Amino acid sequence: MLTIKNLHATVDGKPILNGIDLTIEAGEVHAIMGPNGSGKSTLAKVLSGHPGYEVTAGEVLYKDGNLLDLAPEDRAREGVFLGFQYPVEIPGVSNVYFLKSAVNAIRKHRGEPELDAMDFLTLIKKRMKLVHMDESLMQRPVNAGFSGGEKKRNEILQMAVLEPALGVLDETDSGLDIDALKTVAGGVNALRSAERSFLLITHYQRLLNYVVPDYVHVLIQGRIVKSGGKELALELEQSGYALFRDTEAA
Amino acid sequence: MEAVAKRNSVYLETFEASGARLREPSWLLERRKAAMDRFEAMGLPSRRMEAWRNNDFSAIVSRQSGLVAGGGESDAIDSPLSDVPLDACRLVFVDGDFCANRSTLGDLPRGISIRSLAESLESDDATLREHWGRHLAAPDAQPFVALNTALCRDGAVIRVAAGVAAERPIAVLFESSAAADRRLVVPRLLLVVEESAEIELIEVHHGVDGADYLSCPVTEIAVGENARVTHYRLLLEGAAAGHAGAVHASVSASGRFGAHSLALGGKLARTDLFANLDAPGAEVDLSGLYLAEDGQYLDHHTWVNHPREHGVSRQLFKGILKGKSETVFDGLVKVAEGAQKTDAQQQNRNLLLSRRATAHSNPRLEIYADDVKCSHGSTIGELDKDAVFYLQSRGIGAEEAQGLLTMAFVAEALDCVRIEALKDYERRLLFDRLPGGQSMLEGL
Repeated sequence: MLTIKNLHATVDGKPILNGIDLTIEAGEVHAIMGPNGSGKSTLAKVLSGHPGYEVTAGEVLYKDGNLLDLAPEDRAREGVFLGFQYPVEIPGVSNVYFLKSAVNAIRKHRGEPELDAMDFLTLIKKRMKLVHMDESLMQRPVNAGFSGGEKKRNEILQMAVLEPALGVLDETDSGLDIDALKTVAGGVNALRSAERSFLLITHYQRLLNYVVPDYVHVLIQGRIVKSGGKELALELEQSGYALFRDTEAA
Repeated sequence: MEAVAKRNSVYLETFEASGARLREPSWLLERRKAAMDRFEAMGLPSRRMEAWRNNDFSAIVSRQSGLVAGGGESDAIDSPLSDVPLDACRLVFVDGDFCANRSTLGDLPRGISIRSLAESLESDDATLREHWGRHLAAPDAQPFVALNTALCRDGAVIRVAAGVAAERPIAVLFESSAAADRRLVVPRLLLVVEESAEIELIEVHHGVDGADYLSCPVTEIAVGENARVTHYRLLLEGAAAGHAGAVHASVSASGRFGAHSLALGGKLARTDLFANLDAPGAEVDLSGLYLAEDGQYLDHHTWVNHPREHGVSRQLFKGILKGKSETVFDGLVKVAEGAQKTDAQQQNRNLLLSRRATAHSNPRLEIYADDVKCSHGSTIGELDKDAVFYLQSRGIGAEEAQGLLTMAFVAEALDCVRIEALKDYERRLLFDRLPGGQSMLEGL
């Protein structure tokens, strides 16, 4: 599904990713953990095509094509979804209009007929139950005035509606209380399938109690320094990242 | 010694040559003569006049060869609003003259009278005598208003009797045809709304793209005590046209004047909105939207005057600039000594969609009273790049994302339009001019 080879990227000329190698097969859930500044969010932004990040070396293959050649909207249409660490507020655009535009842009790309208002509302209502979201939020401007938990639920709702092949969740768990975390995790678990893969980027091990990953990777200074099964997360919880920093320095 | 060879304007000849005016009452003739003299004394607006320092009408004026002749090819014009499901009385003027076969007055409710200005001018109309030219602010600084007063030939005189609430809006369309090329168009409206009456007026200025005309319309509005007037003004002039239009409203005690200005057309187009809150408790709500495309220059000047206490005024103007365009918002709020408890707000926000565009935003507050609440805000910015990326990351194309965010930017000002069909029409006009607008229209 996704193969990242020797990926290097910079922000404002400053190197952040220094050679990442990672392969994700269909249906797998991978978690990337790492301290602040290790490049976790940069990896998510690069995969989704944010213009502020420059890829200086390496490649990313997605469904047999070169992901980095695609514009951000085309990556989304091909099934890459980025759950934002800080979802953007868009005053003046209602959540429902925004989501309908997104769904229909993607359907059009796939050669499917666009959904009319009725079909769309039926779909939305079904998906909203998944994240326990209040229906009134749909008429409000995108994320404007939403609480932190509401914003993250809104991200998961968007993912549930857009049905991506690869979900990249950038610290979706940060700042959530336990109830919101369970809701978000429940949404992700409900979307897990043999065809759909996830890349969970997280700072805290807690998320992984609720979404159990197949693989865990430790990212330090723009490189994956260790990979393992779900037990690696627990190990990290106990030892912290210091151990790996030392490895890196040595 | 300096040689003073003052040339008279091309319009003085037009003024002197007009025979039709002989049938007008003497008071009117005197006022017209005085206005013509004033115009000749002031000359055309130039950079020497503070209020006009940003505008240069000289190129358009230099190509002018007099007043429009009238009787233009009305059928050749694809009129705006024609496909808008707007339940309104429609008055259509082509090249300055009333066009009966394209107007639909319908049954006017009791208490509302509409007369053509041409007819009123010759019949010593009582409304005209009482109100015409009485609501103009600062006439000595308004050359184009003087020119209009001297030369106007037709337009409408609308009166709403006390206590009457008009059920349908009145739409007045001023069209300029190819015959208006290199000509001056001087439409004139007078709306008198008596005590506790209500009406909505839609004023549209539209012309063909090929004609290089100059339109100088003047609208005077008298808002009676406790009356409510909402005025919508759509500037859809042809691509080569010049426009220097003015709206002068005076608002009596507890009266409310709402005005919404949409400026899209014209090569060089300026709109002056004067609102005088004449008596205690008057309320004025001005909103505007302008979208300037490559090569356009669009200007709004507002003059909100609070001479008396307990006045409330609101101003919200939003501008979008594309290509190498230029816009001006210059807004004055003047609170006189003694106008206590005035509550005045002004906002102007500009969105640059191009690096080559220039937006000027000049809020001006002159406050001489001490117990007032006045605020203003002015911004010039670009689209939020994070928001564009957020939309893209959900599959929405880059162009459409920009269009969507631009519409979101203007939504607040568009929401000031309370006639649903008109709001949809304005939205459509904006979509037509925005990147990705077509696909957004389909998605509505």
